Amino acid sequence: MLRTSLRQVSAALKEGRLTPTELCQRCLALIRTTKFLNAYITVTEETALKQAEESEKRYKRGQPLGILDGIPIAVKDNFNTAGIETTCASNMLKGYISPYNATVVQKLLDQGAVLLGKTNLDEFAMGSGSTDGVFGPVRNPWSYSKQYKEKSVPKSHSEHEESNWVITGGSSGGSAAAVSSFTCFAALGSDTGGSTRNPAAHCGVVGLKPTYGLISRHGLIPLVNSMDVPGILTRCVDDAAVLLGSLAGHDPKDSTTIQDDFKPFEIPNLTDFSKLSIGIPKEYHAPGLSSEILALWSKAADLFKNAGAKVVEVSLPHTRYSIVCYHVLCTAEVASNMARFDGLEYGHRSDMKDSTESMYAATRREGFNDVVRGRILSGNYFLLKQNYEKYFVKAQKVRRLIANDFVKVFRSGVDILLTPTTLSDAALYTEFIQEDNRTRSAQDDILTQAANMAGLPAINVPTALSERGLPVGLQFIGRSFQEKQLLTVAKWFEKQVQFPVIQLEEVKRHDSGVFQHKKSTSFS
Amino acid sequence: MTGLALNCSINKKSLFDRKHYFYADLPAGYQITQQRVPIAVNGSLSYSLCIDNKMSQMVTKTVRIKQIQLEQDSGKSLHDDTRSQTLVDLNRAGVGLMEVVMEPDMCCGEEAAAAVRELQLILQTLGSSQAVMAEGQLRVDANVSVHHPGEPYGVRTEVKNINSIRFLAKAIDYEIQRQIEELENGGTILNETRAFDSKLGCTVPMRDKEGKQDYRFMPEPNLPPLILYDAKSLPANMNHQQVINIDWIHERLPDLPSVKRKKLVEQYGILPEHSFTLLNEDGLAEFFESVVKQTQMKPKKVIGWILNDLLSYLKQHSLSVQESPVSSFLLADLLNLLEKKEISSPAAKQVFMELWKGEGKTPLEIVKEQKLGLLQDQKELEQICQAVIDGQENEVMAIKAGNQKVLNKLIGLVQKKTKGRSNPALVKQLLEKKLSE
Repeated sequence: MLRTSLRQVSAALKEGRLTPTELCQRCLALIRTTKFLNAYITVTEETALKQAEESEKRYKRGQPLGILDGIPIAVKDNFNTAGIETTCASNMLKGYISPYNATVVQKLLDQGAVLLGKTNLDEFAMGSGSTDGVFGPVRNPWSYSKQYKEKSVPKSHSEHEESNWVITGGSSGGSAAAVSSFTCFAALGSDTGGSTRNPAAHCGVVGLKPTYGLISRHGLIPLVNSMDVPGILTRCVDDAAVLLGSLAGHDPKDSTTIQDDFKPFEIPNLTDFSKLSIGIPKEYHAPGLSSEILALWSKAADLFKNAGAKVVEVSLPHTRYSIVCYHVLCTAEVASNMARFDGLEYGHRSDMKDSTESMYAATRREGFNDVVRGRILSGNYFLLKQNYEKYFVKAQKVRRLIANDFVKVFRSGVDILLTPTTLSDAALYTEFIQEDNRTRSAQDDILTQAANMAGLPAINVPTALSERGLPVGLQFIGRSFQEKQLLTVAKWFEKQVQFPVIQLEEVKRHDSGVFQHKKSTSFS
Repeated sequence: MTGLALNCSINKKSLFDRKHYFYADLPAGYQITQQRVPIAVNGSLSYSLCIDNKMSQMVTKTVRIKQIQLEQDSGKSLHDDTRSQTLVDLNRAGVGLMEVVMEPDMCCGEEAAAAVRELQLILQTLGSSQAVMAEGQLRVDANVSVHHPGEPYGVRTEVKNINSIRFLAKAIDYEIQRQIEELENGGTILNETRAFDSKLGCTVPMRDKEGKQDYRFMPEPNLPPLILYDAKSLPANMNHQQVINIDWIHERLPDLPSVKRKKLVEQYGILPEHSFTLLNEDGLAEFFESVVKQTQMKPKKVIGWILNDLLSYLKQHSLSVQESPVSSFLLADLLNLLEKKEISSPAAKQVFMELWKGEGKTPLEIVKEQKLGLLQDQKELEQICQAVIDGQENEVMAIKAGNQKVLNKLIGLVQKKTKGRSNPALVKQLLEKKLSE
């Protein structure tokens, strides 16, 4: 039951084959047994069960609030949740209880969703591994899958478990792991430079980054205001469409959301390929791209060609500048957004009492890890009067060029771009931490951050398993606000590749087997 | 509205920025303001000053408005020195406000005070703000510098903590003097922030020196550019409630104080300086117009009663026009009695004093009670005049010899005899007639 899609379990609830309380309890139990994944920072057992009870009452009355009523979900710990600790995986906010719900959280709760808990992340969403939070790294559930274990060569028996696990990717690693390990049916992440799509790819789940301005950021603790979006993580494309329908729309509390009405949609079947044009950006053949992924990318392109679509190579010439451009703009906004953490009103406050200034300095040194501090210092440097033109304004201009690259390509008749999501499959934790956060981010964000710079919608669809038995995903990038077209193509592709279900012992033990999981052939 | 009232160019597209600095009353660590492109620029404010303290000689001056910008308020810090702590009140932090920046066109405290007073009246007329300084609805910081004529402007200091228009003038004048003395003694002026100490009447350096700060301005990413429209640029199918149409607002601006004053002068024939006083006192102009409507007395005469009698009584008792115990109806009633020559002018003043007690009596009742009515019987008056003439032989001779001034003494004596109930003009007439016989 836990391994079904959101739609299917929702139907089961409606038909009474399962109750919200049972479902909630099963998920909570699974969270307990998969605790070693460290996907959750806070598990809200009591409130979740209460919400499930309320949902059950509604189902009994025959008045469920909608498709999300009673569905267990998880939320990344950088979204404010009223009465529940919100930490951003940082010492700065340890113990901080939000006084309000982020708009997206409120929307989910209003539709009867059951909030299981807050998921782990890189501190303040800065990172691409979910390894740099104060609550420790998140472990990729695939590290414990049959598929991975079969393929990996154990160094020694005792070493196997502890040193052989791989990262989830980041920064929404906790959310991705939670969905991947079946503890919830959907999770909210955030995406600033790829933070939803990257862990989605490494954990074999669907990660959707909506168009900037479609979903409200009110209550999402900001990293880069001009690039952040709430991200949606689910086990299939259809479920992502359901979540999108519940979350999108104008929010008066967020002036950057568009005013137009959003019409939730059901994804149609893709039948007419003659009108579809898929673009393959040549610059995304980036240095360091694994040959496996390159081959998969090529196979995917062929898949579309064979179905009758037009597949063309395109160019996004300014792609190579995007990393540095992103770095300047991101750190500048981070420096600004982190200024509010001064220890006075909320969060951590140092015991240093010599003067206000020394208290600020001590509080911020104690509260932030060096990744965050590093970005603040860089950002402030770029914003200094004497540097502003050279760096910030220049980066804004380059950003415009990068965005225009996409505009030109879409105007030339291309509907969707197809690219890899990551350079390789998930790395071993022990290897990943050899390089520092900044280097890793620079490497890993390269395929995902241009979509943030241009504000475009993008989605990771799990495609196949690598030679090591780990998930690899491919990315589709669409036109602004054309999520329907994007998800239509993504759903068709998902059906073609038949990505295998993760085989986890822990989950098998918990699932009642009401739904048999389908045997699937993998796409490789 | 304020931008239009101050003759500014309205920027149809204005932008928001973040100004970063750390301070206890700034919870976000930055203030949202409009540094690059504010909402309105290049305006002017005209105000009037009396020269040499004579109301009769007023001169009009103008101060240029550099810009008007929208920004956020910070919280309030209260320093508790005895306990070495600072208390922070964040209630007003983040609230939107409007900053009006003037060019350094004013030369002394009096000019600044007059300019700010006029601005206050404009804001109140528009409804933009109640602009009461004592309640922090209008806050004024003064930037002061001195220089020799012909030389460039000197280093300026910023003076804060000014809580009234009176203190504004004082603070500026003090600071000007301080700077002149400092420079004449060979010192230099620091570009610093000073606070006005109203008890001591001087400016002191402020305790928290910000020093030279780099505010690291950055565009505010959460607020898109503010777009305003006019009749020409308004898109056809835009929801009327979601846009601001500058022309629409312009058409609906109320009469500004300068226009109101002009109208008062034209309509009622009063002097310009009178119109200033009328508008300077909240509700006085309306009171005046109300009295004029209810009486036959000419406005030119009514104004005297309003400005000399009513206003001085109000000031003496620290009352506002709204709190006046004498209503416009009662005053009009009194003035009608005077106009109809049923009482004399001094008698009217007495009645007014009685009305002020607010005991609910009408002017007519008071006149009857205190027997202040003018003698209507001409014959009786003639007899009294004759009696006075008969009793003042020397004075009569002096008058007949050509000394007209002595006539006033006779008039005074008649007044005494009638206990002030004679019309001086009529008495003069009668005496003159009799003396020429």
